[in-house]
Order: sequence, then structure tokens, then C-alpha cells
Amino acid sequence: MEPIITIRHLNKKYGEKNVLNDINLDIYPGQIIGYIGPNGAGKSTTVKILCGIIQDYSGDITIAGKDLRGNVLDVKKMIGYVPELAELYDMLTPWEYLNFIGKLYHLPDNVIEERSKRMLDTFGLLGNIYQRMDTFSKGMKQKVLLTSGLLNNPSIVILDEPLSGLDANAVIMVKELLQVLKQEGKTIFYCSHMMDVVEKVSDRIVLINNGRIIANGTIAELRQNDTDSLEQIFSKLTSTGNLTKKADDFASAINYTNTAN
Amino acid sequence: MNKILLKLVMLPSGLWRGMGADTDQLRAILDVRLKMDDRRPPSLGRPNQKKEVKNATWKNMLISVIMGAVYMFPLITVKDAIFGLSIYLGLLMVWLALMLITDFSNILFDTRDKFIIIPRPVNDKTIVLSRLLHVFIYLLRIVLPMSLAGWIVLGIKYGLPSVLVFPFAILLIVFISLFFVNFCYLLLLRFAGPQKFKEIINYFQIAVSVLFFAAVYLIPKAFDPEKGFNITITDHPWIRFLPSYWIAECWHWLDVKSFPIYLPGTEWFAVFAILAPLTCFWVLIKFLAPQFARNLGGLDVAETSEQKIQSAGKVTSGKKQFYHKLANAFNRSDDAKAGFIITWLQTSRSRTFRMRVFPTFAYVPVYFVYLLLSKHESFKDAWIDMPNNPGYIILLYMCAFVMMNALNYLYISEQYKAAWVYYAAPLKTPGGVLSGAFKALWLKYMFPFFAVLSIFTITFWGWATSLDIVLALVNVTLFAVCMVRVGARHFPFSTSEQINQSGYRVIRAFLSMFLAFGLGAAHYALVKRDVLGLNTILKLIFLLLSSGFLWLVWNSYSNTSWAVIKQADDK
Repeated sequence: MEPIITIRHLNKKYGEKNVLNDINLDIYPGQIIGYIGPNGAGKSTTVKILCGIIQDYSGDITIAGKDLRGNVLDVKKMIGYVPELAELYDMLTPWEYLNFIGKLYHLPDNVIEERSKRMLDTFGLLGNIYQRMDTFSKGMKQKVLLTSGLLNNPSIVILDEPLSGLDANAVIMVKELLQVLKQEGKTIFYCSHMMDVVEKVSDRIVLINNGRIIANGTIAELRQNDTDSLEQIFSKLTSTGNLTKKADDFASAINYTNTAN
Repeated sequence: MNKILLKLVMLPSGLWRGMGADTDQLRAILDVRLKMDDRRPPSLGRPNQKKEVKNATWKNMLISVIMGAVYMFPLITVKDAIFGLSIYLGLLMVWLALMLITDFSNILFDTRDKFIIIPRPVNDKTIVLSRLLHVFIYLLRIVLPMSLAGWIVLGIKYGLPSVLVFPFAILLIVFISLFFVNFCYLLLLRFAGPQKFKEIINYFQIAVSVLFFAAVYLIPKAFDPEKGFNITITDHPWIRFLPSYWIAECWHWLDVKSFPIYLPGTEWFAVFAILAPLTCFWVLIKFLAPQFARNLGGLDVAETSEQKIQSAGKVTSGKKQFYHKLANAFNRSDDAKAGFIITWLQTSRSRTFRMRVFPTFAYVPVYFVYLLLSKHESFKDAWIDMPNNPGYIILLYMCAFVMMNALNYLYISEQYKAAWVYYAAPLKTPGGVLSGAFKALWLKYMFPFFAVLSIFTITFWGWATSLDIVLALVNVTLFAVCMVRVGARHFPFSTSEQINQSGYRVIRAFLSMFLAFGLGAAHYALVKRDVLGLNTILKLIFLLLSSGFLWLVWNSYSNTSWAVIKQADDK
């Protein structure tokens, strides 16, 4: 099978700092990729490059057989992106916002209407479709964003912390949704800090640290012994120093009282 | 500056402690509040700080000093000392009330306290006191620099004793303004309920800034210019009912010779100067403030719940919106439709946009009346004489000013980060979105406004002006398109207020303003003077040339490339 995303020697610099260091990755269609790493490891940068938001990088990226540099528009059409710390124009209603997004993806009016109403309905938000989003809770806004990210029926879905703010039922639904999308042959690129979720949903896990891929494989391959959870693997590979000791240090810092004064 | 102010208000810390406040917490809270004030962009005028707002306090204070110096003129020029003082104090009061209404609501509605301070072990008295002291410092920062010129003039003209009365008068002014603003807010809160309150406050702020603008321009005209600086209070006996007159009278009691009273029987009005503010202050503390705090509590409660599910049938029956039809009618590409929709909706929802742009519509008639009056003695004369001059040209071209301001704010949003969608969406070039946004702004704001001005023009100057109206419309539109074309190009609502404005851009803005004046002046000249009886033909040629240019510039603008947008973003 041909990989749907091929990344070769991807490098990205911000000034003097190397954010991404020679990233090489093959992603196959119908897979859920768990893309994990500590804060500042370069996850969001990778994602932004794949979405065509950042365009000055070195290296080659091929998506569905097309070179990303020469075919940014075609690639963008294939991708659905739900960013982290999602920002939207919350003075608009979900209906108005989704219409706006749909137009940017050149969707016909009736498709926008049908898709957005049905998708919001499954999230239980249909009753709020004509209400301004400034009064929405974080979870409600997240649901609108998920809807907007999937509105163009993308074949590659890039999700950056998609579960943040969602209630337990919505989390279960989104996890189920990921499986359904996967069965439809969509590729899902899932970035998160929630190791337990990543461990459960991902077919493959890619761990990035300091701009380098330091682990890449199925959870079974990553396990060095049978009992390791993804969380433990993560900390073994990325933490500097003993975390238990750090926790102790932190706790002893809380207990500090200056008796000299 | 803040450090000094903080030290100052913490001087009577024994007193604060006696009132039950925790002074360490009080200092910490005030310190943070003042720091945040310092970094908040000003609410009046477009900020052009570099990168981040720093030392906003100093800049605001400088503005206050300048405004204060301008207001001080009646103090020097009006011979009747009490009258001059009344005008001066009245202006101070209006300015203070305006500052409070436009700026202070931001502080008032900052409900972050709920999450940051309330969960901590801070007692109620400390919180209340921290708010009061914050208000006090806030006022001090406006009033002191604003009255600076007044201190100097009073000192030089009337000597030290009259200076000593001044702080007392300032205090009274502060009470009255504070009372007035709170009273208005509370009244609104009463009738509107907390949910609609913010919305109404916004319109209220707009109305007040228009009123203020009108007052500054038109009130001086209300006085008889014949008498010039010799105007006396006896021509305007109604002044006796103004609080600023009562306060000014206090100086009379201090120095009868320098401050004679010309309105007989009003000497004892000075009593009101003390009574009224004190009553105001008492009502404020006793009734308004607590009620206000109670009502404000309901402000940020989200009334939306996910359980509020209507029947699906009812929802889907929503008719096709008007703006949707317009978007389809006026734009060919989907990109342009998207730009049109977002602009159409966001311009009437964004508080910033409404606050900064809506008042300018009202400035046009005010300024027009001001120009009319500048040539005539009374409004009646001016009105009768109006159709004899081609003043309508000026009126129509003032649209350019409104459009320029609206275009400036088209790119600004508090939620500018939401603009990531433009970069993630498959847009071939940004030109489509940009042109759609421009069309929406033109159609929603400029065209109706221009239409109203045109009807006014036709009513008073007759149908002969039709060609001028068309030419003016084309020229103003040409100006607007030139402005967006030569200015930094951004997606609608994609930049923050504090965006760095380089000198280069300012120069370009000036150039486009120059263009508007040039077009207007050329047009005016054609109307004013008859050139060999060929005016109609010349106007037609003008129209043809302008339309041609408009077409060229518009084409270039609606084909804006990614490179141009990137360049603007990087600056």
C-alpha cells in the first residue's frame, strides 16, 4: 500500500532554533496516528506544515501522491483541521460560522446546511444553532469546531487536542467517531497529551522530542515489557531526571516555611 | 508612576486595616490592577503602540494634559471670571464623564475577579476597598493631569488662595460625574436586565461620544460670536442651573473682587455646590453601588445550556437570510461570498467595530452643521442660505472619512486568532475574501449612508445635482479602494488592536487621504466655477476617468496574492 503522507527530511527553523530536525515519516491510509511529545517538542509545527499554514520549511512532503509545495490548494481541500486552543469568531452563531467555513471550502449551500445541521444534531447542539457562541461553554465551542473541521468531508483529519473541554459522553462519541472515520478509510492524525486516550485509539504512535522522532510504531512495538503503559514509555523516553524525585522536591517546596523571619 | 500612586493610596494603611481590609492583599491586588491598566490599549482613538502596550498610563496622562490645556481657554479669554470658570469646570465634568463611560466600563465589566480573586482567602472588605481605591486612582490619573493647566492659570491670574479652592472643586466634579455615570448605568440595568445590558451600554457609549463631539463643535457656536470674548453670563442666564456654575461660585465667596457675580440672586447657589455632590455621593454609596454590584453579578452568567433543544423541524424551517441572498447576488466566487458573509455579520456584532465606527456616521452631520454655522450668524440664516452654495459636495465627500475609519477597523478583532481558518482553507488567492469583505462594508454601511446624504442633497439642491452625486459616489469609492489597495492588506478581522503601525503605512494613509481631498476639491471647483459652459461635459469626463481608475485598482485589489498578505503579516 502507498503511504498517504510521506515526510522526508523535514526541517524547520525559527530564527536560530531548530524546531524540527530531520523528520521522516510514512503514514498509511485508514490509520489513526497518535502524535505525542512534550510541550514544545514540535507537534503543532508539524501539524501546521501539513495543513499548509506554515510554508517555509525544508524537506519534502508528499500527500496523496502530490507534492505539498506545489499543490497546497489541493492538499488543503483534502484536510480537515481542528487546532489546539481553538479560536473562532464567537459573536457569530454556529450556523453563521459554519456557513462561512463552508464557503471557504467551496461547498454548495444545501450541503453546508444539511451537513452542519445533522452534525450539530448528533452533538446535541441543534437547538443552539441560532444562538451566538459567546455564551457557549468551552465544550460547546469545541463541538462546533469539530463540526467545522469535518464539514468538508476530508480524507485526512488532523486533530490537535480535540477532546479538550468535552464532557464524558461527548468524549465517548468522538472516540467512536474516530473509529467510524477510520473504517471509511480516512487517515487521522491525532495530537494529544492524554496518553490513555492515545494508547486506546491509535494504530501507531509517533513520539517526538526536541524536534526529532524518537519512537515510531504500534503500542506493542513500543512496549519493552508487557506491563508498560504508554504513559510510562513516554516518560522513559522524554523525561530528564527522575519524576518521582521531582514530585518529592515539589512537595518539599510547598512545605517550605521561612523560619528565619 | 503607578508605584507613586500605589504608595499614595497605601499611606493611610492604618485606616484601611481599621476598616477590616488586609493591607498586604490590598496592595497586591491594586498593584496588579494598575499594571493591567498600564497595558490596556486606550479606548479612544486608534492605538499605534509598537508590539505591546506599555506605559499606557503616561500616554493617557499626556492626552489629558493637552485636553486640559485646550479647555482652559475660557478661563483666560472670558472676562467674566465666574462665567469662564463655569465653562471650564463644565468641560472638565463632561470630559470626565465621557472617559468614565467609554473606558471605565471595561474595568467595571472585568469579571475575571470571580475566578482569580474570589476563590482565594480574601475578605469582602478588601475586595470592595480594592475596587473603590482602583476607581479613585483611575480618576486621579485623569483629573490631575487634566487640571494641570487650570492650576497654573488660576495661580498666575488670581493668586494662591484661588488655587487652594481648586482641589476641593475637583473633588466635587468627580463626585458629580461618578454619580451621573453610575446613575445612567443603573437606570439601564433596571430597564434592560443584565443580559441585554452590555449591548445597550455599547450603544449608549456610542451615543455619548457623538453627543460629546457635537457639544465640542456646536456649543461654542451657540454663543453670540459678535460679542466675542466679551460674552457675559447675563446673556445666558440658564447657566445658573448647571452644577459647574454653583461650584464656580465658591470662588466668589473667597474673593468677591476678582470673582463678581452678575446674575443677581444666585450668590447663595454656592450652597448647592456642596450639597449636590455630597447628596450624590451619599446616594451613590448607600443605594447605587450595592444595587449595581448585585445586578452586575448576573452579567456573565451564560444563559445558554446544552439541554435547550428545540424540535429539529422548527430549526430547519429557518428561512434563507437576507445577507445570504445579498452575498450570492453580489459575489461570484465562494471566497468572496465567505468574505462578504463574515464582514456583514461581524461588523454588527463586534463591540470594537461598533464603538469605533458607528459614531463617525453621526460626526458627518455634526461637522456639516458646524461648517454651515461658521459662515453665518444664526442657524436660521445658514439654513436659508444653504442651497445657494455647493456645500453638498463637501457633505458627500465626507463619506470618505466614514469609509476610511470603517476600513481601518475591518481588519481588527479581539478574536483575531480565529483567522487561522483563512490559512487552513483552500484559498487560491486571498483576493476573493478581501473583495467580498470590501463589498459587504460598502453595501452595508457606505451605500445606505451615501443614499441618505443624496436624498438630503436632492431635497435641498434639486435634481440638477444628480450627476454630482454619481460622480461623488464613484470618487469616494475610488478613494476607499485605493486606501485598501495601498495600505497593508489583511484578512477581515485578522489582526489585533495593538498591531504595529510603521511610519511607512501612516504615510500611505496620508497619501490616500490627500487623494480624497484632491478628488473632492477638483469636483468642487467644477461645481463652483463655470468653465466655458462645458461643466457638464467636464464632469462626465471626470466620471469616466474615475470609473476607469476604479476598475483598474479594484481589479488589482481583488487579485491580491498570498505574497502580499504574508508581507503584511510579517511586518
